Amino acid sequence: MPNYLIMCRSLTYAQRAARVLERSGITAIVTKAPQGTSTEGCAYCVKISERRLADSMHALNSVNIPTGKVFIQAGGDFQEVGL
Amino acid sequence: MIYLDSAATTLLKPPEVKAAVISALDNMSTPGRGSHSAAMRAADAAFDCRQALSDFFNVSDPERVVFTFNATHALNIAMRSLIGPGDKVVVSGYEHNAVTRQLFEIGADIWVAQSRLFDDYDAVDAFKKAIPGAKACVCTHVSNVFGYILPIEQISDICHEYRVPLVIDASQSAGTLLIDFKRLDAEFIGMPGHKGLMGPQGTGVLLCASPGVPLLIGGTGSDSAKLSMPAYLPDRHEAGTHNIPGIAGLRAGVKFITSYGVENIHGYERSLLSSLARQLSEDERIELFYSPDDEIQSAVMSLRIKGANCESVAAALGDQGLAVRAGLHCAPFAHRTAKTFDTGTVRVSLSPFNTAEEMDTAARIIRDVANIM
Repeated sequence: MPNYLIMCRSLTYAQRAARVLERSGITAIVTKAPQGTSTEGCAYCVKISERRLADSMHALNSVNIPTGKVFIQAGGDFQEVGL
Repeated sequence: MIYLDSAATTLLKPPEVKAAVISALDNMSTPGRGSHSAAMRAADAAFDCRQALSDFFNVSDPERVVFTFNATHALNIAMRSLIGPGDKVVVSGYEHNAVTRQLFEIGADIWVAQSRLFDDYDAVDAFKKAIPGAKACVCTHVSNVFGYILPIEQISDICHEYRVPLVIDASQSAGTLLIDFKRLDAEFIGMPGHKGLMGPQGTGVLLCASPGVPLLIGGTGSDSAKLSMPAYLPDRHEAGTHNIPGIAGLRAGVKFITSYGVENIHGYERSLLSSLARQLSEDERIELFYSPDDEIQSAVMSLRIKGANCESVAAALGDQGLAVRAGLHCAPFAHRTAKTFDTGTVRVSLSPFNTAEEMDTAARIIRDVANIM
């Protein structure tokens, strides 16, 4: 099943984002971003299910947590999503 | 042993701190590197501690809580971020060498807002005169020698009025007095984790209103393709491997402090110190540097035994099972202020784990030692 990856500018931001999402009832997993998703090198992201992207972005925006690019990941492939 | 040297390090910790350290050693690697379970457990421990500290000190975001190795490290980052050679910097007359040596190394123009011990009016007046035109103000919250609680909110207000960034050394107040980062409007607050916050040695914290300039440069596990340090907090100041066992222990310490409440801890410690001071004040050979006012005296107190060398007194007390510290306490400015520079003092400093019975015993031992010196 595809997942969305919400890029975060640091591990701490990713953790904060995940806590916000969990409080909103959205399962979120902090993980290292796949290579190629960041031009700056190592980065972290929050992984959520395909169905919860809109809810997730709303929850994060409502508490002013900055987010980066969003990718859809299926298997080993990922592709940037325009929001 | 009766341990009355908590201003150096709280030896007596809640048992949860030790358990957290051991658990971290057994189960956690390091955050910001891998994404395997041991790394993520470490990341969770660090974030939990950051969040707890952020809540405890009323910091807007956990990202503004930076882990350091001690208070000196934190204060070095703060001062190096704000101050350059020749800059006018205002300090209190009670600063520790963690502040004054760094300012000397930078080549700052150090202005001392000199004020009498336990005299808030004098302190505020001195800062009002000194702060205009300063590049920064660096001020201890509580004197590590005398336990004098400086009027930090009023000093903050003066800094705010003149738009002078304030750095606070909270080494003796974090975990024992209320500290509201937003209210104090400080640019940085530096503190140890291993004193009032009950964490292990090797832990410190810097609360940041601005990103500052990194002191330690290296890998952060983020933005790895770039040669420069990340621009964002906390990564900007956290190069290299974290002290995760220490941070896990610090988290347990903060949880303990939060559950008891700093006001309760301060009240309890002050009642103990009050008892000790009352018993010692009956002996005319003992000179106390003490204020009965809870608003300006923390649970740190200096004393001298007339005619006796303070190091000899501390050694004799140690032989009797009383752990104290003597000398200048790395704070020559404070001793010059109180006119104790030539003799130094013997310092007693309490923790929530001390008891009333210990105060009675300590008073007896100090009086006995005064008899034989």
